[in-house]
Amino acid sequence: MKTNDHRIGVYICWCGTNISGMVDVEALSQSIGQLPDVAVSRDYKYACSDPGQQLIIDDIHEYRLTNVVVASCSPRIHEITFRRAIENAGLNPYMLEMANIREQVSWVHSDRDEATRKAGALIKAAINRVRYHEPLEKRYVDINPTTLVIGAGISGMTAALEIADAGKKVYLVEKADKPGGLVAQLDLTYPHFDSAQELVLSKIKRVNDHPNIDLFLNSTITEISGFIGNFSTHLRLDGQEGQELKFGNIIVATGLRPIDAGIIENYNYRNIPDVITSLEFEKMLLEGNISTEEGKTPKHVAIIHCAGSRNSRYHEYCSRTCCMVALKFIHQIRSILPQTNIYDLYTDMRSFGKGCEALYTRTNNNTMFLMFDKDDLPQIKTANPGDDCSILIEMNEKLSGRSVEIPADMVILMVGMEGQTDAKDIARAVGISLCGSNFFIEKHPKLDPVATTTDGVFIAGACQGPKDIPDSIAQASAAAARVLSTISAGKVQVESITASVNEDICCGCQTCISVCPYSAISFDEEKSVSVVNELICKGCGTCGSTCPTGAIRSRHYTDEQILSQISGLIETANTM
Amino acid sequence: MSERVDPGFIKEMKHYGTSDWNACFHCGNCTAICPFTENESLFPRKGIRQMQMGLKDSLASNVDPWLCYYCGECSDTCPRNANPGEIMMSLRRYLTTIYDWTGLAKRFYQSKKWEFGVMILLALLIMILFIFFHGPMTRELTSEGGVQLNTFAPWKKIEIGDWIMAGLLSFFLISNILNMYLKIIVKDRQLKVPFRFYIIEFWSLIVNFFTQKKFSKCEKDRTYWITHLLVMTGYTIMFILIVVFLGWFQTDAIHPWWHGQRLLGYYATFGLLVGIFYFLAGRFKQNTQKNKYSHFTDWSFLILLLLTTLSGILVHIFRVTGLPMLTYYTYVIHLMILFPMLMIEVPFSKWSHLAYRPFAIYFYNLKKRAMNRQLQPVLQ
Repeated sequence: MKTNDHRIGVYICWCGTNISGMVDVEALSQSIGQLPDVAVSRDYKYACSDPGQQLIIDDIHEYRLTNVVVASCSPRIHEITFRRAIENAGLNPYMLEMANIREQVSWVHSDRDEATRKAGALIKAAINRVRYHEPLEKRYVDINPTTLVIGAGISGMTAALEIADAGKKVYLVEKADKPGGLVAQLDLTYPHFDSAQELVLSKIKRVNDHPNIDLFLNSTITEISGFIGNFSTHLRLDGQEGQELKFGNIIVATGLRPIDAGIIENYNYRNIPDVITSLEFEKMLLEGNISTEEGKTPKHVAIIHCAGSRNSRYHEYCSRTCCMVALKFIHQIRSILPQTNIYDLYTDMRSFGKGCEALYTRTNNNTMFLMFDKDDLPQIKTANPGDDCSILIEMNEKLSGRSVEIPADMVILMVGMEGQTDAKDIARAVGISLCGSNFFIEKHPKLDPVATTTDGVFIAGACQGPKDIPDSIAQASAAAARVLSTISAGKVQVESITASVNEDICCGCQTCISVCPYSAISFDEEKSVSVVNELICKGCGTCGSTCPTGAIRSRHYTDEQILSQISGLIETANTM
Repeated sequence: MSERVDPGFIKEMKHYGTSDWNACFHCGNCTAICPFTENESLFPRKGIRQMQMGLKDSLASNVDPWLCYYCGECSDTCPRNANPGEIMMSLRRYLTTIYDWTGLAKRFYQSKKWEFGVMILLALLIMILFIFFHGPMTRELTSEGGVQLNTFAPWKKIEIGDWIMAGLLSFFLISNILNMYLKIIVKDRQLKVPFRFYIIEFWSLIVNFFTQKKFSKCEKDRTYWITHLLVMTGYTIMFILIVVFLGWFQTDAIHPWWHGQRLLGYYATFGLLVGIFYFLAGRFKQNTQKNKYSHFTDWSFLILLLLTTLSGILVHIFRVTGLPMLTYYTYVIHLMILFPMLMIEVPFSKWSHLAYRPFAIYFYNLKKRAMNRQLQPVLQ
């Protein structure tokens, strides 16, 4: 479909030498300028720069452009930039199409002529497509200023307090019978030996006393309905359906659980009583009594790192905190039992961050450090009668290349972290995803580790991945700040690129409802058609491509748009 | 077979001069820079790890420390200042106590009281023997104007003492070397050394004892090796003169300066003095890695050797210039220093390295040869 009322501006970016080094941008801009409907075609050194954007804005005014094509880097990087630019010139932001001639052309090819041809084809396809772009509206929803925080550990309490201190209401839901989470089970923290109890008790007191926080203990959440700004749920209190809560944002802070040491066969955790986990040892430290099952003071204590971490049979990832906790243990054992021999069996010593290397140096001279390969675990067994210890550990020591035997009366397994077993239920209830090992997946691993792919749902603390206390608190504060910013905006923009159902064609098969990852489609029994809730829809297009009758139209990704883009590619390939 | 680790071992090693035992994090730079390390002996790192883990059996059979001549390049290169060279040195001290079955070496290295106590006892023994058994202290001089030393201390009587001493020294040293052989060769059950290898490699034992040619390859600067060779030859000549040829060496006659007796004596004295002052100066100045750390036994060894040499020179001067009383007293003092020094240093302390080093090279060569032979069928 060619109409004469399209006046398209095409801008081909040099990206310095990133694109121009491999693509003849000047020749391309000349030949593209000859195409029908192209009112102006230019090449420019950095289209994303302020003068570059200004050039586009000026052209829109001068040539009364209706559509704009920018051939440059990936739209993931600058689509928003150029949409804003053409919006400033008075065009609807969705009248833009980008051709990615950097990541998909100049960076990956080595033949200049061929690369230039491919760039030409992509630009022509974009020109074909942009003709079918339609103006889309920006839409906003109001935000309910109350927030739901799931999990009252150190992260959840921190996030709740930040929001409550800002004067906003928080529902803090905890499945256990008391707040505090894992930190409440610890004795001292590394590297400065502050009391974990003091840290957590001061937070618990503030949470209990805060007028803006409603704390629900023994409570779980199984289903949440709604979307950003307007969520609601029925609490389950001791398994019974409880109070209904309405809120605008959710912070998930469900924390972690230690892995079950029993799954590591070599360590005989279930069979030898004095083989204990790091958390069981924390308990001993809290009670102020390091002793074996028989009540004796251990003469030899062995600490084994990476129990369940960094091993292809258990978890491949590093749990980040265990090395430092082990060094903290060494320090504590050394001060309580100066005569006890300490053996530290590690795979790699990871003492990252402020003050941690100093702690390592401090423990270095009173401990025997022994290295094992992470795929060649030590074997723990009961000692022989006549040995001066109750346990023997056999290992292949990596630095000496020798197989050695270590006497022990107590073995502490530094168990790794994994997500909660019910993380799947939480993920389903709030509409977010899990990566492996029951940790929640963040929106972007670097640029947005706090948000999730569901608007209005944020994650904080060790439920996102292994973390220490300061990192958990930092993420909790960040999540609180993100919630407060949506609350203070009052409204939030929702996706404009959404799906819509042509009720005349919909046959009511409900296939779209089963495939929608955002639960954005419901069924209108009366009309017997599917209905898309456009506030929840993300425009992913799954329903549109699944719909057997073609009743669902994905805005901005219509059949005409896609097909014309493809034909643009094919035509160019045939002619050039 | 897995070997038991021993965290208490480090405390023991501290007696032998190891200080920062855990600084080493096993990067292997020391092994890479060492001019002697070979595939069959990856020191110093291997020995350091055995020490850190307290693998005493592995250490006892480890010949590597004796293959190191402490040029100090490993310590210069170490990124952690773990001082691998000094650890090798302290391992040599430790091994000396391990080869010594009497346990005396351990006492002498670990306790100044023992070292100096036994030294004084032995010196007193010499004094008492002289008080009761010395000959007439005549003031009459010989026709050449020299002192009649053989009247005060007849060489035939002294020679009996020498032989007793040489017998004791040989007994302790040889039994310790046998012990070393047991630990390094015999205990290694997988190792089978054919008898002919012992004969083939014997030549290397002799060559290394007299030339220390391996040592000469250790450093760019050969001064140390030459000086060490001077001390070694001076000492050996003197030892042979007093034990085997005392009748020819301890004369009342004053030979002309070009006489063999005097020339050999002067060469030995010169060699010892040059060496002693060179080593003492080095330890004072701490100018090289190997001089930076001195165990008390390093000092006592050098000082005893210096006093022996000086008193020997004085005996000679007093005798030829005709000063009888001074000659007699100095002679007794000379033996009061010489005897304890040899009895302590040769079988039980620093001087034992004169035997352990060449034997270590001998055992190492045997081991290497035997291992290569055992590996050959596998390689084919």
